[in-house]
Amino acid sequence: MTPFAALAPAGLAIPHIDYTALLPELILLGGVLVLIGVSAMTPRRLPTGVYATMTVAIAAAALVASLRLWRDVQNHGAFTTVAHSVDVDGFAVYFLVLVSCILIVAAIIGSGYLRREGIAGCEYYALALISGSGAMLMASANDLIFIFLALEVLSIPLYVMAGFDRRRPTSQEAAIKYFVLGAFSSAVFVYGIALVYGATGSTNLPEIGAFLAHNVITANGVLLAGIALLIVGFSFKVAAVPFHMWTPDVYQGAPTPVTGFMAALAKAGGFAAFLRVFVATFPTLRGDWQPVIWALAALTLVGGAIVALAQRDVKRMLAYSSINHAGFVLIGLQAVTTKGVAASAYYLFAYAFMVLGSFAVVGVVGAKGDRRHDLEAYRGLAARNPVLATVFSVLLLAQAGVPFTTGFFAKFYVIAASVGAHSYALAVVAMASAAIAVFFYLRVVLLMYSTQPADPGDEATTPGPAGGGVATLVRIPVGRLVVQPSIALGLAVSVGVTVVFGVWPQPLIDFTRAATFIFH
Amino acid sequence: MTIDGSWYLALAAVLFTIGAVGVLVRRNVLVMFMCIELMLNAANLTFVTFSRELNDIGGQVAVFFVLVVAAAEVVVGLGIIVAIYRHRVGATADDPHELRG
Amino acid sequence: MSAHAVAVGLGAVAGQRAFPFLTALVLTPVGAALVALVLPRRAVWAIRAVGVAGALAVLGIAAAVLDEFRAGFGGYQMVSVHPWVGSLGISWSLGIDGISLFLVLLSALLFLLALAGAGERTNVKSFTIWILLLEAACLGSFCSLDVLLFFLFFETTLVPVYFIIVGWGHEKRNHAAMKFFIYTFTGSAMMLVGIVALVSIHAGQTGVTTFDIRQLVQTHLSGTAGVLLLLAFTAAFAVKAPIFPFHTWSPDAYREAPVAGSVLMAGVTAKLGTYGIVRFDLGLFPHATVVLAPVFLTLGVAGIVYGAIVAAVQKDLKRLVAYSSLAHIGFIVIGAFALTGESVSGAVLQMVNHGLITAALFLLVAMIYRRRQTMNVAHLGGLQRRAPVMAATFAVVVLASIGVPGLNGFVGEFLILAGTFLTHRWWAVVAVAGVVLAAVYLLWAYQQIFHGPERESERDKPFRDLTWREGAVLAPLIVLIVAMGVYPRPVLDRITPSVDQLITHVEQVAHPNIPRVGQPEPTTHTEVAK
Repeated sequence: MTPFAALAPAGLAIPHIDYTALLPELILLGGVLVLIGVSAMTPRRLPTGVYATMTVAIAAAALVASLRLWRDVQNHGAFTTVAHSVDVDGFAVYFLVLVSCILIVAAIIGSGYLRREGIAGCEYYALALISGSGAMLMASANDLIFIFLALEVLSIPLYVMAGFDRRRPTSQEAAIKYFVLGAFSSAVFVYGIALVYGATGSTNLPEIGAFLAHNVITANGVLLAGIALLIVGFSFKVAAVPFHMWTPDVYQGAPTPVTGFMAALAKAGGFAAFLRVFVATFPTLRGDWQPVIWALAALTLVGGAIVALAQRDVKRMLAYSSINHAGFVLIGLQAVTTKGVAASAYYLFAYAFMVLGSFAVVGVVGAKGDRRHDLEAYRGLAARNPVLATVFSVLLLAQAGVPFTTGFFAKFYVIAASVGAHSYALAVVAMASAAIAVFFYLRVVLLMYSTQPADPGDEATTPGPAGGGVATLVRIPVGRLVVQPSIALGLAVSVGVTVVFGVWPQPLIDFTRAATFIFH
Repeated sequence: MTIDGSWYLALAAVLFTIGAVGVLVRRNVLVMFMCIELMLNAANLTFVTFSRELNDIGGQVAVFFVLVVAAAEVVVGLGIIVAIYRHRVGATADDPHELRG
Repeated sequence: MSAHAVAVGLGAVAGQRAFPFLTALVLTPVGAALVALVLPRRAVWAIRAVGVAGALAVLGIAAAVLDEFRAGFGGYQMVSVHPWVGSLGISWSLGIDGISLFLVLLSALLFLLALAGAGERTNVKSFTIWILLLEAACLGSFCSLDVLLFFLFFETTLVPVYFIIVGWGHEKRNHAAMKFFIYTFTGSAMMLVGIVALVSIHAGQTGVTTFDIRQLVQTHLSGTAGVLLLLAFTAAFAVKAPIFPFHTWSPDAYREAPVAGSVLMAGVTAKLGTYGIVRFDLGLFPHATVVLAPVFLTLGVAGIVYGAIVAAVQKDLKRLVAYSSLAHIGFIVIGAFALTGESVSGAVLQMVNHGLITAALFLLVAMIYRRRQTMNVAHLGGLQRRAPVMAATFAVVVLASIGVPGLNGFVGEFLILAGTFLTHRWWAVVAVAGVVLAAVYLLWAYQQIFHGPERESERDKPFRDLTWREGAVLAPLIVLIVAMGVYPRPVLDRITPSVDQLITHVEQVAHPNIPRVGQPEPTTHTEVAK
């Protein structure tokens, strides 16, 4: 009996809410209030490190709460709450853990950036926490309307964070583009929900699944249209080709640590819901949607890899590389098997740390003002800071899928799932795209270890009037790059996870398998 | 001629299409924004119609959620637009063009 | 039973002494690399010493493995199996047989020579670490009994080689390194799909998900599936070896790499490709191998002829060696795909021979380059009078490369040609023509460098003969080239049983359904087999 039941009008049942099941989300949202409260009540502006420490503590508390939930789910099985709108199962809790980890690393990395840029205040952290709670809710959502709400809670803070750097016009441009296309995709998504609701009579995922399992809809045009619109909506969020147009602009324009956070979090949240809705709810209609996902995956893999080749801006390049990664995660979805879901979940975990670390390095190289993102800025980086160059090489090679990194096992796992589902052609397309992708990752590595000045024939360098040499000297920044301690810590975590779980993948793979064992 | 549910659904579909085309064709951010609102309301109309046809309260409840989300989007979206207005004249989606690749 | 489980391959009693030789073999270089990593950058001598000591330790362990190895037994020996990613069926399983034994020894030797003889002055720390990591990856590939573990090591070799080329290569190193990485990565990408597909088929048949090659060889593959899988695997091996026409990266990479890189790439990592063909193509897809053998034989012969012709027109010594290497790999390929006991034994032996010969050639070229700063044949001449010892050494290596009796090249090529002649006569005949061509271009280059007229401008410049250190690096190679040419028996005794077992396996699987060339099978036989 909830304390507010007496206030409810007669006949309107207030659903039972298991607050402990929502504890991670509640901790994050409560943490936001604390952050804002502290910021409002302190007379002078606190250093950003204080907020970062608080955020890490809040996210760590959410992580602990998630791990407790994991234990409960493992011991007592999955359950639903809030009138079956929230599903607390292994899959959901897996993403609660992942999101908590992303928040911790993003807060650590972000604080270094904010201090360098002299941006005070708690807004970055508060927005990140709200967004994180949205991603958590997306993973646990068991109702289409709930997914829609969670999606907005995830996205709206990200729009603001993209436009966070008010001194750079590109940042605001990114925000407006992200906002317009994000809102557009949300509208498409909600219309899709309305159509699915009309066809099946419910927005609750298990009810939809049960309805589809027990009824054969003869004229299923409305349902298929709804599903198609849902695919479009999700594809926008996870940046699948051909719904990826916003990605390079937003990734390039947003402040660099925000880009890393956005890439890790939006992919995790978006794919969590994408996987649940399609694999768990619409498996009976797989004949209709599986080929669509096949085509999406193939386009995303190849499109992302090929367009990335042409990029001269590292952030844009990594944006297209993230599109390529989205294609790999789609392969796990396309398999429509438990193994496929586990593979996608693993990929998202591995990807989150690789991308957070990569963008942290990009942020460091971008230097004060966050503008130096041309490929040329990386020339000779190994001489300026050998450790940073090594770290970035590890992260890039991991993204390329080199063995003994999580990146390799992520690709391997996805390919195994795809082959297990007899999608051989897609597996071949994926590996071909990985081979293409190697080129642009290596190009950065090559530049970092290059001791030669820019080639005269290189189209990127504009030779000055007095010959190429002078212009080159001006372009290549010299001197040691300073890596702030907090960013170094964030990088250590990212690289550590990438390498440790690459050499010893057993625990993480068991985690994904346990998370998807009773995927229902 | 009776006006049954399918008319409302058709109207919603038309509204949605107008909105979607508007977002893709128009370049003024405020107009694009209005078109998105049109799309959301088309979804609302669909929800209400189905709710009535299915005799299920869920669809009407969904409308409230969508309205709340739309309001939240308006707040953030207008905030971003205002921030851009401060820096430049006019709010056309083509004007910001620093991001190319 | 301790955590170190000892599985004994095919009824052998090899693992009685539970010392994990092969695991030690793979992990010793990693340990040395870690030690080098914590040493300060300035401590160049200490780093060099750690590198050489690590490689020496590996050679010692490899010698112990040779001592422990039971000749006359064909199965895997010294097998050690540990679960690694148990839920996916991946295990740390290492084992060795006659096919991999001498490749392991060859690697151990060449890595030691590369580290001891490397003249790299800049950034010694990174250089040593990369070489040691490459050594671990190569040894791991040769010893893996788990297909995915093999793939991991196989793929890992790319990274050190890439950084060695980029960090210490010649002028066009960036281009060459990029080309190398992308070609080989593309090839192995296809192999990964093949591995996963094979394991998935095997799991479908037996319900067991495993990457263990000893179980995967029992997979029943339909004709089409076998051919497709063979092609997927061979994509990786053909690029790595490299087999004509997938060789275009190799002259650039060999040319631009520093000497240690060229030696190790041509001597060891190229062997990963040919080893993969013998171990995985023949072992896992016997049926498809028989079907596709003519194609690969043709490619092998094309490689021999093409390599010889292109080598003959090279001005650059290193490119010449690179193309001659392509021709040698062609021999190994026809030996492997001729599918007779002699030819496959010859191919395995020739892998070792080629490693020794090419390593010696690249080292000699580097020694000339160190003295004259040129690799252009036309700029060299008359060095025999200045450096008689070097000239003699060069002559021995060139003669071994040509395949003169009494030196190791002869034994391998003879076995390959003799074996191939039995089943594929015309390919063998064309390959013999390749031997003649090799004689032409190698002797021409030798004659030009050592006996040709000295250029006017070079006449006053000094040219030292081999130093003691250089002699010490070359001596083991020369000794082995001569010893294996004069008395190959001990080596063949260890190679042949494993090869015979492999060929028997191929015949058993491929025989029932595929009529042998020239002798159609009786139909009843086929029906019984089905």
